[in-house]
Amino acid sequence: MADWITACKLDDIEAEGVRRFDHAGRTFAIYRSADDEVFCTDGLCTHEKVHLADGLVMDYEIECPKHSGAFDYRTGEALRMPPCINLKTYEAETDGVEVRVRV
Amino acid sequence: MDDLAYGTRNKRGDWQPKEPADIAPIWHFPPQPLAVLKWLPHYFLPYDVVFFASAVAWWYWVLPDVEVMKTLAWGWILKLFVINTIALFAFFGVFQLRLYTFRSQGTRFKYNGQFPADKRSDAFWFKRQDVDSALRILFHAMPIWTAIEVAILYAYANGYVPWVGFSEHPYYCAFLVLLIPIIHETHFYLIHRLIHTPILYKYVHSVHHNSVNPSPYSSLSMHPVELLLYLGMAFWQLFIPSNPILALYALHRAGFGAIPGHVGFDKVEVGESGGIDTHAYIHYLHHKYFEVNYGDGLIPFDKWFGTFHDGSKEGDQRMQARYQKKKARMNAKAAADAAQQTNSVSN
Repeated sequence: MADWITACKLDDIEAEGVRRFDHAGRTFAIYRSADDEVFCTDGLCTHEKVHLADGLVMDYEIECPKHSGAFDYRTGEALRMPPCINLKTYEAETDGVEVRVRV
Repeated sequence: MDDLAYGTRNKRGDWQPKEPADIAPIWHFPPQPLAVLKWLPHYFLPYDVVFFASAVAWWYWVLPDVEVMKTLAWGWILKLFVINTIALFAFFGVFQLRLYTFRSQGTRFKYNGQFPADKRSDAFWFKRQDVDSALRILFHAMPIWTAIEVAILYAYANGYVPWVGFSEHPYYCAFLVLLIPIIHETHFYLIHRLIHTPILYKYVHSVHHNSVNPSPYSSLSMHPVELLLYLGMAFWQLFIPSNPILALYALHRAGFGAIPGHVGFDKVEVGESGGIDTHAYIHYLHHKYFEVNYGDGLIPFDKWFGTFHDGSKEGDQRMQARYQKKKARMNAKAAADAAQQTNSVSN
């Protein structure tokens, strides 16, 4: 059963930004949209296991820093080659101060 | 020059030409004789004239006498390696220094709005694309280039293959000059499809594709196996009756000629209002989207096999349709694998 855990402060993530979050031997990426919504996905690109937190966030896309593959971080859907396999997504929420994720 | 008169720039800063990329007009249907006539000089201009001239220059001023090339000796081979390396870095360096180091035309006509040097990445040696590419050229490309060149010259010098003279067979040699770009395109397309098969891509071609935003030094930044396959296109001149100068031309066309597709700019500005078309867009799209444009459009292999992308919305839709199918297939397989794994754990 997945648990809700506090991952970071909302201010730790820039607007239209992403932050890496490691927990229990797994790695995740937590996103903050321009409208202060938060989202969480697996942290590694499904193509070559590169940390997406080093990538570029634009609108609702995260671009992998290695090959510029892209995902919709709300749904995890792969949007642009080379990744073809979608990212796994997790519930995330914020009270304006803290960000909690269910992983 | 105002690049927005020729194209558009998106909010990421990427520039896109207004005119979509096109295959050679000799393949247009219905036929367009005027377009063909306009295109014909580009069969050799500007690049191939340079590569042919360099082959002639190598033959007369760089290579030793044929008697010397009958023996594999370090002296002439090392000299050839050094001259090849200096020439390659000088040629690529003109573009690299002007466009990427000094950034003399900024991002005007630049397909990708970013400069590779501004982005460090673990994909590269020392985290720098330019350093990684230069080292791969020095330690991989130039030794393999020179080895292929030596093997070809050694074969001709020793009479292992037929040597067709220009003065005895001028028309046949002229035909070969016309044929070499076609051999190049066919060979390039075939090996390119080959190295995009999953295993070869993973262990060989992915090195070259690390340059998503290619720059001149990316041109020969390849795994040694890919270099052998790619530069090895010059070996065709051993299987058809040919001439060592034509073999050098084929090799220089592959080696020096790798740059047009990787220059990253649609035009290189000359003076205040002039610009030289680089014809780089087709191959740039390959680096950007990976599974389109395996060829360069001289022969429309990609059109015939459904992988052509001209940069237009329609081209994008065709690519996306293929991508959606591939995604559905791969995600279904990933889901099945995950379910199997869960079952085996619960059992």
